[in-house]
Amino acid sequence: MTTDTNTDTDTVESVDPGLGRVSRLRGAVFRYVTFVASLVGVASLGVLLAYVFWDALGMDSAQPGWYAGFFLLVVAPFVGFVLRARTDAVAGEVALELFATVAGGIQGGFALVVVLDVIAGVDVWLSYFLTTIGPAVAVYLYGRLNRAASWTGLGILATGLLGPVAGTLLIGRIDVVVSGVGAPGIYLLTVTLPAALGVGLLVDRNEDLGDGRWATLALFALGVAGVLAADAVPGVSRSVWQLFVASFAAPTGYVVARNLADQERWSGLAGPGALVVGAGVLLLVDGPLGLVGPSPWFDWQFLTSPPSLTDPSTAGVYAPIVGSVFVIVLVAVFTLFLGVGAALYLEEYAGSSGLRGAVARLVRINISNLAGVPSVVYGLLGLAVFARLIGTGIGTVLTAALTLSLLILPIVIISAREAIAAVPDSQRRASYGMGATRWQTVRNVVLPRSLPGIMTGTILALGRAIGETAPLLMIGVPAFRRDEPTGLFTRTGALPRQVFTWADNPNPEFQYGVLAAGVVTLLVVLLTMNSIAILIRNKYERGDV
Amino acid sequence: MSDDISSRVSRRKFIAAAGAGGVLALAGCTDGGDGGDGGGNLSGEIFVTGSSTVFPLAVEVADRFERMHEDVSTSVERTGSGGGFENFFCPGDSDINNASRPIKDSELENCRSSGVEPVELKVATDALTVIVNNENDFATELTFDQLAQIWGPDAGADQTWADIDPDWPDEEVNRFGAATTSGTFDFFTETVNGEEGVHTQDYSPTEQDRNIVQGVQGDPYGIGYFGFSYYFNNQDAATAVAVSETGDEFFLPSLENAASDDYPLARPLFTYPDRNRLTEDRIAEFCRFFVEKSTSKEIVADTVGYVPNTDSKASEVMETLESAVDEANSG
Repeated sequence: MTTDTNTDTDTVESVDPGLGRVSRLRGAVFRYVTFVASLVGVASLGVLLAYVFWDALGMDSAQPGWYAGFFLLVVAPFVGFVLRARTDAVAGEVALELFATVAGGIQGGFALVVVLDVIAGVDVWLSYFLTTIGPAVAVYLYGRLNRAASWTGLGILATGLLGPVAGTLLIGRIDVVVSGVGAPGIYLLTVTLPAALGVGLLVDRNEDLGDGRWATLALFALGVAGVLAADAVPGVSRSVWQLFVASFAAPTGYVVARNLADQERWSGLAGPGALVVGAGVLLLVDGPLGLVGPSPWFDWQFLTSPPSLTDPSTAGVYAPIVGSVFVIVLVAVFTLFLGVGAALYLEEYAGSSGLRGAVARLVRINISNLAGVPSVVYGLLGLAVFARLIGTGIGTVLTAALTLSLLILPIVIISAREAIAAVPDSQRRASYGMGATRWQTVRNVVLPRSLPGIMTGTILALGRAIGETAPLLMIGVPAFRRDEPTGLFTRTGALPRQVFTWADNPNPEFQYGVLAAGVVTLLVVLLTMNSIAILIRNKYERGDV
Repeated sequence: MSDDISSRVSRRKFIAAAGAGGVLALAGCTDGGDGGDGGGNLSGEIFVTGSSTVFPLAVEVADRFERMHEDVSTSVERTGSGGGFENFFCPGDSDINNASRPIKDSELENCRSSGVEPVELKVATDALTVIVNNENDFATELTFDQLAQIWGPDAGADQTWADIDPDWPDEEVNRFGAATTSGTFDFFTETVNGEEGVHTQDYSPTEQDRNIVQGVQGDPYGIGYFGFSYYFNNQDAATAVAVSETGDEFFLPSLENAASDDYPLARPLFTYPDRNRLTEDRIAEFCRFFVEKSTSKEIVADTVGYVPNTDSKASEVMETLESAVDEANSG
């Protein structure tokens, strides 16, 4: 081998003809094999999604004319926008932001309604708002305004400990207020108003947007005046309206306004705008033109009705959605506290030497292994330890939440550790160098810098938890339950469990219609959670908050 | 909150059902015998486990019961008859366990040792159905002996249809049957194979009826068995086999044949409440409702696909229930 290493590969043969030609066939074959390998996954997933959506939206019943209109008005503009977004990064980003905000707002609204109105009830919410949440926020805001007040941190801690006690005592004593103001009024004052004030503050901070007071006023007015519109929509009570103004209208309005104010970002609004206008026009003209559209299984009725096993046309997923949201909210609370706590300890506090270092190493290795344990095993563990030994009950909300928390805890810890380890050491040293304590360094440097990574990892893990079925089967989550859960210790339905039950229904309308609609519900939840995670990651990677 | 409830109620579109429910509630008051306890003020949780054969019937009954009693929440889980007794009912986790065969002595002992006293209530009759692929035109009639040959303990992976009858194709028999936790498994083995629990190992066991149908559907030489309800609601998917105990006269599974006792694989379906929990009004009332509805052709036959109880059988069962309720309340 006397080939000159500097020689370009193209001229190898001319330098030493004795070596013969270097065959590129294997390289080319390998390249195409990898190409096919990457396509198989995407293509089969695409087929699956198309198949499920086709069934769920009942596309069979639509006429060719409707399809023509659909492609002309909805698909063509959207494809055009996607092609444009390939070269215009801002446009794609704005569209993602809008999608994540809208879908996240709707799901956040569902979660808010479930947690406040269905599970807690307005009297319980008001009690804790008056004794815990309100005072804590007030103390925090005072601390922000008056930096000299060093007691605010402990004040918030004290409110967090004493507030719930006082709140529990208060429940039942404020019935007069509750019945006097009414549930929608209480939500208007305790949820819509704070959200409106928050948006006002954000608007004030952004120079392009003008006076925040107008934004606050507009949102508050929407909360009050929209009640009339809400009364006209079946299934939307005034309370639900208030909660959706806070969780959906407020963030969506802010995001739209901010993107509208910046001319460079207008191109991004074109895609979602074209979709909304196209769909709106289609809805307006299909009646007069006599076009028969699809008859979707996945519709408002489906989302708001109790499940059924005999009547596909009235079957819904209301109770399972409430159950899943309840469980996932608890899982989020458990895993955030336990996961971030464990990750912080392992990365920041546990040394690498001595007994503590050895224990930490053992814990690290075990956590990595636990991440690979099949979910069925976690289900068995949940049944044996939580349901039986501790006695949280078969198929209850708490058992499901604890089991799913354990299931995703290793993933949350690992991703949180990665995020914490990614904070540059130079920043920690700079903090120490300025005389900060370890706690102050963690609080002011490590946590803020790693929070986006932690959030992204946690949201993706929650997405996995919400779709898990095997552990739910093991812990006895019932196959059929018409009612939503009312507390931690009541049995609950869950979305994936309901889908599994429908999958065994002999009626083809269930197997191909209702089942598909259930799957689409799960997919929409998952895709939204994932897009929120991507959005957070993108934003923080570039450093703008 | 009140506005939420009223709007949800209207969404459920059951004005008609509510009217019927009102009538039923009245009926429940008059023959329920538990005076002073009107229909509307029951509340709490009911947990039903057990047979996947009885599952669709229990769900239908629970669904209707809850429409009458808004504050009662029923959870129905399918675990198989034996699985339900073993894992949920006898340990005291569930209030009621369904079974597609009578409770075994060992299960009765197990329950009693933990203070649970099962009360047997017959709620319907099933025609256990043997299915073959729609292309199968030879094995449309099978005797018990032939079934025992196919499903017996000696049947291995190498068995072909020609082994059963020389005129049939020399193709392997592929079996799709009930899991061992299932009451269907217990009944089938006892009735066809002569001894409970004796069954070939070479088959695909499942609690999901759909897996059995799909297995047989996708295999021209497949054979399976399950409750009549699934076949009743999905008759195009597979062909039901006419069976005969002796070989003289073959009967297809149907509600008529099962009701007239002609069909040799007809079997009673049960629900077992825990007697000690019948002191709870909601559970006692649910059981009364279940027994009352067990005569309904609309629910049991038309919707689910089993044979309803006769009126005399239902009143007999109701007597059993009422005396159990009295005993529970006095003891």
